[in-house]
Amino acid sequence: MFDWLKILVSRIRALARKRRLDREFDEELESHLALLTEENIRRGMTPEEARRAARVSLGGLSQLRETNRELRGLPWIETLAQDLRYAQRTLRKTPGFTAVAILTMALGIGANTAIFTVIYSVLLRPLPYAKPQELVTWRSNESLLDIDDIRNQANFFTAGGGVNPEVLDYTGGAEPVGVSAGYVDAGLFQVLGVPAMLGRTIAPEEDRPGGPRVVVVGYSFWREYLGGDPSVVGMVLPLSGNRYTVIGVMPASFSVPEYNLDLFVSLRVVYPEAAAYRGVHFMRAFWRLKPGVTLERARVGMAAIDGRLAALYPEAEKGRHTLPVPLQQWVTGDIRPALRVLFAAVCVVLLIACANFASLLMARASARRREMMIRAALGGGRSRLIRQTLTESILLTFLGGLAGLLLARLGTSLLLAAKPAALAHLNRIAMDPAVLAFALAASTLTGLLFGLAPARNAARTEVAGTLKQESRTATTGPAGLAFRQWMIVAEVALAMVLLAGAALLIRTFAHLRAVDPGFNPAHLAAISIQLPAARYSEIPTQTRFRRTLLTELNSLPGIRAAMVGDAPLNGGEVTHSIAFEGRPPVPTGDEPEVDSFCVMGDYFRVMQIPLRTGRLLNDMDREGQPLVAAINEAMARQHFPHQNPIGQRIRWGRETGPPRWMTIVGVVADVKQYSLAEATYPAVFIPFAQSNEAWRRWMSVMVRAPDLSSGRIAAVKGRIWALDSQIPLNRIQSMDELLRRSLAERRFNTFLLGLFAGLAMILCAVGVYGVMSYNVSRRTQEIGIRIAVGARRGDVLRLVMEQGAVLAAAGLSAGTLAAVAVTRWMKSLLFGITPTDPATFAVAVLIMLAVVLLACLVPARRAAKVDPMVALRDE
Amino acid sequence: MTTGETDRSEILQGTLDLMVLKTLEAMGPLHGYGIARRIEQISEEVLRVNQGTIYASLVRLTQRRWISASWGASENNRRARFYSITKTGRKQLTAEAENWQRIAAVMGRLLQLEGGK
Repeated sequence: MFDWLKILVSRIRALARKRRLDREFDEELESHLALLTEENIRRGMTPEEARRAARVSLGGLSQLRETNRELRGLPWIETLAQDLRYAQRTLRKTPGFTAVAILTMALGIGANTAIFTVIYSVLLRPLPYAKPQELVTWRSNESLLDIDDIRNQANFFTAGGGVNPEVLDYTGGAEPVGVSAGYVDAGLFQVLGVPAMLGRTIAPEEDRPGGPRVVVVGYSFWREYLGGDPSVVGMVLPLSGNRYTVIGVMPASFSVPEYNLDLFVSLRVVYPEAAAYRGVHFMRAFWRLKPGVTLERARVGMAAIDGRLAALYPEAEKGRHTLPVPLQQWVTGDIRPALRVLFAAVCVVLLIACANFASLLMARASARRREMMIRAALGGGRSRLIRQTLTESILLTFLGGLAGLLLARLGTSLLLAAKPAALAHLNRIAMDPAVLAFALAASTLTGLLFGLAPARNAARTEVAGTLKQESRTATTGPAGLAFRQWMIVAEVALAMVLLAGAALLIRTFAHLRAVDPGFNPAHLAAISIQLPAARYSEIPTQTRFRRTLLTELNSLPGIRAAMVGDAPLNGGEVTHSIAFEGRPPVPTGDEPEVDSFCVMGDYFRVMQIPLRTGRLLNDMDREGQPLVAAINEAMARQHFPHQNPIGQRIRWGRETGPPRWMTIVGVVADVKQYSLAEATYPAVFIPFAQSNEAWRRWMSVMVRAPDLSSGRIAAVKGRIWALDSQIPLNRIQSMDELLRRSLAERRFNTFLLGLFAGLAMILCAVGVYGVMSYNVSRRTQEIGIRIAVGARRGDVLRLVMEQGAVLAAAGLSAGTLAAVAVTRWMKSLLFGITPTDPATFAVAVLIMLAVVLLACLVPARRAAKVDPMVALRDE
Repeated sequence: MTTGETDRSEILQGTLDLMVLKTLEAMGPLHGYGIARRIEQISEEVLRVNQGTIYASLVRLTQRRWISASWGASENNRRARFYSITKTGRKQLTAEAENWQRIAAVMGRLLQLEGGK
């Protein structure tokens, strides 16, 4: 039996032919009546009587029509359509209200959706690996030998692998380029569980010293340098003077957490010396938990392994303290606090928008009290009236949500255009179905929740009561007014919290901008160079190249060039433990550590790093001369607090062979090596020519020139390639740019939070303005009387402003308390300021107070201009 | 009074549908007025049919495709909607009639039992 289906089809068809069916039914009843009347006449009634009798025996015509419609169609759809039509008509009749309501919701939902889009992509979407919830890592790096030991001992991991990002020179293209290569062990592919898109990944038996030179290329390298050739497997690539066979291509979705790697080679094959060295922990390791093993169990297990390693190899493993964390948490760790604060902020904006929205609806409901009363008197049921009012508010939020989605699309592309570095490793941030669902749910829920109170209020209209209370102007009951005033207090409080947060970030940013990086970044560029191991394995050849290069570059007009191992703000450094001459030896593993930099040429003068005492390193400090070093002020403060460091001798802590004592000849000012927000660590500078560490083949050539045009850069590159045409020169950065970029993420957060605070203030001002003007219009008569009996304009103005001030004071007190409670969550985003900085809070309070009072001023002035004659005549 | 009426119409609903079907089977195509008159005549004024309720019955039967409707001219040359029973309608009528008779027989026996106590 498909009766129900037949009925449904017929009902749906009836919906489409509504008008025709109505007409036909009328006609049918018409002919029925006519026949019945004729019959009655035949029975001897007068025509008049006959017609009346016919109507009686047929029943009420409109009721018949209603029953007919209900039976043949889908009444709830029709009711909905009717409600929607009605809502649309009334909304169109009040375009101002509609526009404000929709805009309010659009701003709230739009901002929310945009931030949620980013949050979803960054924090919530699972990592693109097999069973990502099993993956863990830890903050400290490991040597390859450690990774092997842990893999052998830890029965709670099913797989583990490590990676170290390095630069390899690819010389198979038009120009030599430095590409980022992951020096990996075969376990890496196993632990991440992503198969190659073409070919295969590195097999364990290839991953050994002296193994075959094979390379797995990443998707973007494959597209950019290999033309996306599907038959690329088996091709041979020249990399840093060696030839590697391509064995596989990884899919586009694959990336190693936090790194942007172009290709992958076996560490044991490409760098066997490092692979066999336990002393330097340079590999980031990833591990896969055995199914069912908890994080806690892994932590306990790792503590045991730490103890064993430290006992066996004290000089290398003494300080072990391994704390496994879920990979997802580690990957999102840097950006998580900022995103959390931003999401909390947009939620506050949404709350304010909702409060405004509810307040608007409430005002509208009281203005329409008369209409509701009439409809109730005409037989509109309570639930029917609530339903109709709710339809209206949901329609509004839905439209607001749609507009909000458009805003969010716009906002997301803006967010992406300004994508902070911490998001750079994300391949895509896009509007997922999840995001759409979020926006839809947010807007519908808002409409329901915040439309319900006004709707109930409207439907609670007691016909008689309202009629009595009703004069000519619609007034709201005290409940409605109190509700709206509470909404205002809440809005002011919420906006105050946002404003305080934004002010803290803005002051943080100002503090950071004021931080001296320690050098002059203007007209300065850094060219990163890595000398190929094949041709520059020895110190003398390296020194010869460096010296010639600097001579060549300094002969170019208008250019001053020098060299350093790792340029400031680039994040790189080499850390050494050190020992001091004449001080008691420190147990192995406890030696102090310093950053060590090799320099050549007039480095400090080119950088404009001031000399504090002693002398700068110069070209006379070369091979064969007494070993010298310069130190920074942080080093002098920490290690020579009561001593003149000049003339003191230091050496690297873990040297084999006879001690190489270096005499400190100068102290230079501190330079920010990592970021402006981070303190400067003790640092030692030594001449490249006196270094005995041949593995330091990389350097940054610092070039200062009044104009760093592309022509000049080309000239510099030309000189370098004239010396060695196989050196990649694709990593050139202006230091200004680098400085700007080091602040980009903070600028981004500050801008967003500032934007949200601004939005909150505007919404709040609109809300205050709405309530106050409504109050004034409601009290027009009272004000008229006051003026008539002698109140001055100033008194009236003060009356209204005082009312606003009371609301503001309540909101600001609550807001300040709330801000004090929550701003400590943003501590990690602050610099040089406490989360409850009184001055900042005072500024925020004053701004908010000004905004509220300003929003009151317009209605207050209107109240002061009330003409008593007009106001009283109105009554 | 209103509640009494709704009670009765609910009881009548299935019965009325059956009456309409049977009338159409017996008389051939008829308009709403004709069906109502016919039922009144047959029931010999025992049942006071509210003529309007016929139309609810007609909608229900049409939706189930047990009857179909077409426009034609009435006795007084007015445009009127004529209903006729369909093939599925006849089948339905047979089934419903049997069912009705069974229930009527059971009811009859039951009520007699009750009366003879």
